[in-house]
Amino acid sequence: MPREHQELLQRIVELCDAVRKSGLDPFDVEVREFFDRLRELLPKLKTNEELYLDVQAVLGLADVIFQQGEWIKHKSSLLYLDPLLITLKLYALPARDLAEVLVRSWHPIIDLESLSLPAIREGLDYWRNLPALDERFKELGVTEVMTGEIARRELAKMGILSDEDLTALLDRTWRELKEAVGEKEFISYWKFIQGKSFEETVFRAWLVSFLVSYGYATLDINPLEEEINLKPLPKPQVLENVATFSVPIAISREEWLKRRRKHA
Amino acid sequence: MPETTDVAELREKLSRAAQLLFFRHHLQPGAKAWELRRALGRDYEQILKLLDAELEKLGLMVKRVSEGEEGSESDRYFITLRGHPKLADARTFGWRVDDMAMLTVAMAHVLSKGGKAPLKEVERILQEKFPRWRVESTIDRFIRRGYLSEDDQGVLYLGWRALAEVDQRTLLGLLLGKEKSEGAEAEREEANEEEKKMEEQPDRGR
Repeated sequence: MPREHQELLQRIVELCDAVRKSGLDPFDVEVREFFDRLRELLPKLKTNEELYLDVQAVLGLADVIFQQGEWIKHKSSLLYLDPLLITLKLYALPARDLAEVLVRSWHPIIDLESLSLPAIREGLDYWRNLPALDERFKELGVTEVMTGEIARRELAKMGILSDEDLTALLDRTWRELKEAVGEKEFISYWKFIQGKSFEETVFRAWLVSFLVSYGYATLDINPLEEEINLKPLPKPQVLENVATFSVPIAISREEWLKRRRKHA
Repeated sequence: MPETTDVAELREKLSRAAQLLFFRHHLQPGAKAWELRRALGRDYEQILKLLDAELEKLGLMVKRVSEGEEGSESDRYFITLRGHPKLADARTFGWRVDDMAMLTVAMAHVLSKGGKAPLKEVERILQEKFPRWRVESTIDRFIRRGYLSEDDQGVLYLGWRALAEVDQRTLLGLLLGKEKSEGAEAEREEANEEEKKMEEQPDRGR
């Protein structure tokens, strides 16, 4: 679509929005002229995006006509007074005079708080479910357990600690990545994380996520080619002035099997 | 005898109407037209007229507020003061002079703009007279209490409570006719001092 057509459509949409949101005088909008322009433009519009903008513009102008109706109703009502005059008064009068204006036009509502049926039911339910006092203050039954020792290997078996420190593990994976890349600049992400088992593949993907987050490597994603490349950095660094974002990469067992068969 | 029964029935309906309107049954006070019709019967408007006549003796009135079409079943009835309170009275039931002034500015600006105005615009006008931190928190409070309402586009309207309690025509008329009172500044200072004293005694009037 020629740029000026798009600009015209966008200008109409924005103008109509401004009338709705910021209380601009709707009669400032040349509705008829804009409709004439839209009619001329319509045969030239081809894509969905162009037609969508056109629809938005027509809806916006229809809303402006509605606002004009409301404006006429307001101006013809006894409540209409020059807004400028009102604003000047609001600026000029001290707080006490303004408060007096409110008080003299004010008829406060008189009402009394009372219990409603749902509130009584809620109270009753609460009371019925409330444990007896002796139950509420009953001490928790705690058995004292003496402290003991557990070997690091046992903790690793339980999955609480890894056999290796995470930093050392990352360092090792980083060196492995640099070796795998060799002379080239990068390696395919999928190739690098591919392990002998599905669990190992997921584990390597997890390590790679740390490598990228901690500045050991970068991910280069080409969505059109559906390629993800992994590039190791010579030394860990926090990249400044670079837009960073999270990239979710799903790994399913089926996908892993398919890749494994492909590379077998 | 039948006449006595009618009178007794009428009295019962009158007291039922008073209970419905005085006691809060929902989040908002008052009662809707359909609730009153269900509780008092088809001639509920006649009963409300009678109640209004009774309340007049106490300086109160029954007020009907339409949110959309007039005469709809969703119209709400409230009991309000027939007259208006005095400035000193309003202060004793928890309103600061500055708060009342801010509400006047916000409502008058919204009304002068045809019933809606951007929140930012109202805040800007208020910030000419009042500190910014107070403006934001006070507008929030007005919205919570139903004096103003805000839509998701950041546009302010008059809230249900303002529609029920404030005579809009009188507000604008008084505002335009108001001349800056002599010694207003001195009075304001005096009022501020009194308010400071009230703040130091939080149990009083709040």
